[in-house]
Amino acid sequence: MSLSGEDMDNPPRRTSSKDSAIVDDEADVFEITDFTTASEWERFIARLEEILHEWKLVNHEPRPPAMKNQYANGTWAEKTEEVIFADFRFMFSYLYLTTTETSSQEISKSKREDQEEVDEEHKTPTVYLDIMNFDNDFPSRAHYLCRWYGLQEFFTLIPVSEKQVIDSESRAKLLLSSASVAFGNSNCSIPVFIQLQQKWRKLFTGTSLVRGGSIEFEMSHLKRLPPQYCHLAGLLDVFKSKLGCVYISMPTVSVAVRFTYKLQDWIESAWPQMPPDFSSFCDGEVGYGDIDFLPFGACTDPISELHLSCTWPCLSEDMIVENSMYSDLDPLQAPQWTVRLQMTEDPQCLLGVFLRDFLKLCERHESTDEVLKKVIGDGDAEKDKAASDISNALHKLTEPVPSLSSIPSISNVMSSASARIKFKPEDAPIPDSLLDKILYFLFPDAKIPRSSTDQKMNKNKQSSSTSTSSLSSPVSEHESDLGEVKANGEKMAELNAELAKQLKSAPVDSLTQRLGLALCKVNHSFGGLLGVAHLWQEFILEMRFRWENKHFLSDIEKGAPNMGSCLLHQKLQMLNCCIECKVKRESVGYGYGPDSVNIHDQSFDSSYDDRDSSARASKVASIVSSSDDDEEFFDADDDEVAKASAQGEKNSEGKTNKGAESGQTDMKGSTEPSEESQGRDSVVSADGQFQDSITHRPVGRLVPMKNVFLLATGEQLYIPVTQEPSPMTEDMLEEHAEVLAKLGTSAEGSQIRARMQSACLVSDMESFKAANPGCILEDFVRWYSPRDYVVDDDVEAEEEVEMEQEQQSAGSDTPATGERKGSVSSPAKRGRLSQRMQIPGNMWVEAWQSAKAVSARRQKRLFDDTKEAEKVLHYLASMKPAEVVLHLMPCVIHAAIIKLVEEAINTCVPNSKSMIDTLISRAAKVTRNFPLDKKKYAELLRLIELAETVTARTTSLRSKFTSDHLASPEQEGKEEEIESFVNNLLTQSEVAVKGGACGPAGAIIHKMFITAQKSNNMILDDEEQDGEGGAAPTPTPTILTLGEDRRNRRKNSNLSLPSPSSESKSTALSDFPAPCAREYILRAMVPRPAPYSKVLPQRMYCLLMESDNRIAGAFTSDTTFQ
Amino acid sequence: MEEQEILTTLKILIIGESGVGKSSLLLRFTDDTFDPEQAATIGVDFKVKTLTVDGNKTKLAIWDTAGQERFRTLTPSYYRGAQGVILVYDVSSKQSFSKLDAWLNELETFSTKHDMIKMLVGNKIDRDSHEVTKEEGLKFARKHHMLFIEASAKTNDGVQCAFEELVEKVIQTPGLWETSGKNLRLGQNGNDGNAAQSCYCVI
Repeated sequence: MSLSGEDMDNPPRRTSSKDSAIVDDEADVFEITDFTTASEWERFIARLEEILHEWKLVNHEPRPPAMKNQYANGTWAEKTEEVIFADFRFMFSYLYLTTTETSSQEISKSKREDQEEVDEEHKTPTVYLDIMNFDNDFPSRAHYLCRWYGLQEFFTLIPVSEKQVIDSESRAKLLLSSASVAFGNSNCSIPVFIQLQQKWRKLFTGTSLVRGGSIEFEMSHLKRLPPQYCHLAGLLDVFKSKLGCVYISMPTVSVAVRFTYKLQDWIESAWPQMPPDFSSFCDGEVGYGDIDFLPFGACTDPISELHLSCTWPCLSEDMIVENSMYSDLDPLQAPQWTVRLQMTEDPQCLLGVFLRDFLKLCERHESTDEVLKKVIGDGDAEKDKAASDISNALHKLTEPVPSLSSIPSISNVMSSASARIKFKPEDAPIPDSLLDKILYFLFPDAKIPRSSTDQKMNKNKQSSSTSTSSLSSPVSEHESDLGEVKANGEKMAELNAELAKQLKSAPVDSLTQRLGLALCKVNHSFGGLLGVAHLWQEFILEMRFRWENKHFLSDIEKGAPNMGSCLLHQKLQMLNCCIECKVKRESVGYGYGPDSVNIHDQSFDSSYDDRDSSARASKVASIVSSSDDDEEFFDADDDEVAKASAQGEKNSEGKTNKGAESGQTDMKGSTEPSEESQGRDSVVSADGQFQDSITHRPVGRLVPMKNVFLLATGEQLYIPVTQEPSPMTEDMLEEHAEVLAKLGTSAEGSQIRARMQSACLVSDMESFKAANPGCILEDFVRWYSPRDYVVDDDVEAEEEVEMEQEQQSAGSDTPATGERKGSVSSPAKRGRLSQRMQIPGNMWVEAWQSAKAVSARRQKRLFDDTKEAEKVLHYLASMKPAEVVLHLMPCVIHAAIIKLVEEAINTCVPNSKSMIDTLISRAAKVTRNFPLDKKKYAELLRLIELAETVTARTTSLRSKFTSDHLASPEQEGKEEEIESFVNNLLTQSEVAVKGGACGPAGAIIHKMFITAQKSNNMILDDEEQDGEGGAAPTPTPTILTLGEDRRNRRKNSNLSLPSPSSESKSTALSDFPAPCAREYILRAMVPRPAPYSKVLPQRMYCLLMESDNRIAGAFTSDTTFQ
Repeated sequence: MEEQEILTTLKILIIGESGVGKSSLLLRFTDDTFDPEQAATIGVDFKVKTLTVDGNKTKLAIWDTAGQERFRTLTPSYYRGAQGVILVYDVSSKQSFSKLDAWLNELETFSTKHDMIKMLVGNKIDRDSHEVTKEEGLKFARKHHMLFIEASAKTNDGVQCAFEELVEKVIQTPGLWETSGKNLRLGQNGNDGNAAQSCYCVI
């Protein structure tokens, strides 16, 4: 204590200036404060003080005592700084219970009222309150120092390095006194602890300086305690002698005791999980279901131990006796029972392992060919391969080209397809019979022989419907069971819908998902990577076969790829689109079958009402014949054209007339001009000539556009059959967008972009022209972009319109001649193109001019199915097994989550909702992420595994607490209580047993211990157990008598039960094993060190375990009256 | 501000009926020009602009789409990955307003980010004949949790404001975008005087 008080006030400055003398400006010139010679010790103290200042713990206000169970339930905080003492580095930490503002304020307020009279000096320091606080004995989770000394705030000083250990008494004392100096200077009464010896021993010595007193925190840690101290009586002796006040009458010591019993053997409820038999489905008779069956559950019991703690809180030492001969501490009599579970660290969850194995393949870099080559390899491999290729090629040639009338049943062809990979039979990773099974599982439609496309479609539908029904069957079975389960089924359905929306995977039971599961299974049970490569190869072959032979992929929904599904699924959808397109393309009557006739019929029905039937019939006939012609239009010749034009004329004549009539009757003048009727005759004639002149008859009409008539001819405007937009997968789209974006933002870029995208527009224009002979751009715009056709409501605009029209037709190259211009004038009075459509050289006009009248069917295909299909097939073929696995991961995860949710709902896992919700939202994020990241999937799998473990725990615990042998009349009606107890066990670290040994849960736990005790002792000592076993071979049904019985016997045994660590053998068997841990807290208010000293709190905590005994004492002494 | 790193690139979409002025709004925002003879967009068009909102420099890739019914088989594929969308109607056309529901439907179907920020813009307020009142627009926006503003590409009313507000909202939505570089700066609201105009309303 060589440092003066003035220095104490400015510790930071002192440390910062340790190397140089500083002349204090304000001080006298003669006084130089010199820190150059400050020792390590002084600097250490200064640093501690500095930190205390930083953390604002100087002159610390006393904290209110902690509330009941606040140590376990409240939040603890920690502040840490590194300090150096010579070459020793320490972590200096402050651990404290964070008090909520309000509660602490309230308490301090009430305190202030109470203690208004009490001056500063008499406030009880926090440490004193903590030591004597009975509300937080044996917290369920807390720092060990907190548990041992009952403190709500303390400092620790721990060597940083494992190698540097404070192992000598003098070092410990030096540190302790340094800390004392620093804390004394800072007027900080918070205890500080210094760690001694090796870290694992958790051995501390500590001190706390309180106004007018000091506390010594001492600790001894021994492997074995002398037997005379191994019980309460012995420990009381230690405590009293330590207090050293034998000469006065010792106040009664208050005692809190907790015994902990460990239950490790679950005799009556062995872990029920049977490891699933993976090999079963290759043995023949088992159906497809097994391939998509996901294993679930833990291999080992996920709950390893149950710890029962029996607590006697706050007893007087006079009330209980425990010595080497006798004990009052019967666990059945303990007022408080609490239970905690010890979980198995890695219960080897089947689903988790199954999926993890699959994901592991992502780390392999071999391509499919490389993997397979290894097997085919070996010398003649090349020959084999070549041979297979040749036979393959020949096969293709000799195989009759499948036509509509005779498609060979796929099953025939498929076996030949699968025979394409030539393995030596013994080398094949997947045996042939099994491979067939898997392929049938993937392609259930292959089983059904069919002869026509139609039939196939039906069958497809059937098979898919049967497969879905088989999938949903477990749910439906449950539904028939109970109302509760029915609710579960609904929950399930809801979740499934949610999953389908959230995850970017593939529909349940789609080909993609089945492929994922099949590969997963193959990986797990049949040859790992090799098996996966083999099956993948087969899959690709089948895909090519289906493309070439125009068989749709079953269980892949039709239509453009769904961007909400995973890329692989989109690719398969794309392939399906290609197949569909190919089928349509190659079937001759595409688009103009009976459907189109119907359309025409409809138009006749509506438009020829007042015509006589014969005329009508003839019209119909002509149309029908024309549509017939359409079908053979590929080889249209002059004949045809002549015929067509003749028909067209007839046709159009009728129509024009009709158009005019309906215009008069139907139109409300909004689109139909009043003037039109006047110019009708001329229109008709002009129309006829026009038709003739361009020898063009309408083709590819879809439906008439209601109440809209061609401006030039007055004929009904028809919406044409158009080419469907090209389906795209998301990667194609991305590429496309990238190309468009790369064109930049300049005007030219925009121009090129528009041109690139105008193919569709041009195609539509061509179709439109084909369907509407004599049409002009205005007509097209009225259909395509109605808002770009401005309808004038006043006649004044007429002139302007006419001018524009002339401009328009003058600028165009269409074979519109004088007649057309004339004809245009009258109907066009009503409207005009919008300004933007009239910009000279704008893309629309340009496109219109370049468009020829060609029906959609005969246009250049916008979608090249052959090219796209080859692209997909190439994409598939070039995938490495690792990539396949990664791309299928979303589907597999999807299936796994469904399985998990099913299990979790069926076992009623507490909090399963939130667990599943997090899982789903995580999965949604991961599956949507692109590019696919295997690390993220690994994380996701960990989550799944965790959820699986939790589910397994629930199953395990529930079976333990509800198994039949535990049932007794007493339990009836208490199921709910037990249920809630089990749920609490799963969600909380420590759970109080309601009613202790007498409560329903307590009774069950008691029985468990009895059973375990019996079986344990039977193993140890047969002879003795014969009698014991005979007495109660099976648990007696009524617990009451049983309990009574036991207790009586226990009384006897108690005499010999000992201090349990003496391990003396009891002749009679007790219900409980020797406690694995015994804890005692002894507290007293005793004056120390002298009888006339102040009465101060004293405390001693003892923990007795088999080979780890600890006594931790906090002894206060008065520093004023010594 | 000049050498500041770009925080992120956002994809913004402009949709709405044909002829409501989508391309004009975009042109006004990116080039500050107005062309009464703006050609009808074919398919999709694309513009880029960097914008600093609250001290965060963001690059906007704005996709302008054709409004024609027939193009709707083509354009929705570009909705993918958009973080913000500007839904435009023409205040002088009731019909363009009544089609809004269909557009929202389409967004719902094709967008991949379900928490994307949507802004409703009533364009062409410079015109005399209003068929859609501001209240109707507000009501619609409130119903569908959108931002709302009335604007005119021709007179440059509210255009800048609309884009800025949309971007700010996107930046403030966690998980909607990913940062490409430096950390995000929050709450630096000093540099944009016009952003502080209360011409938009957040609903």
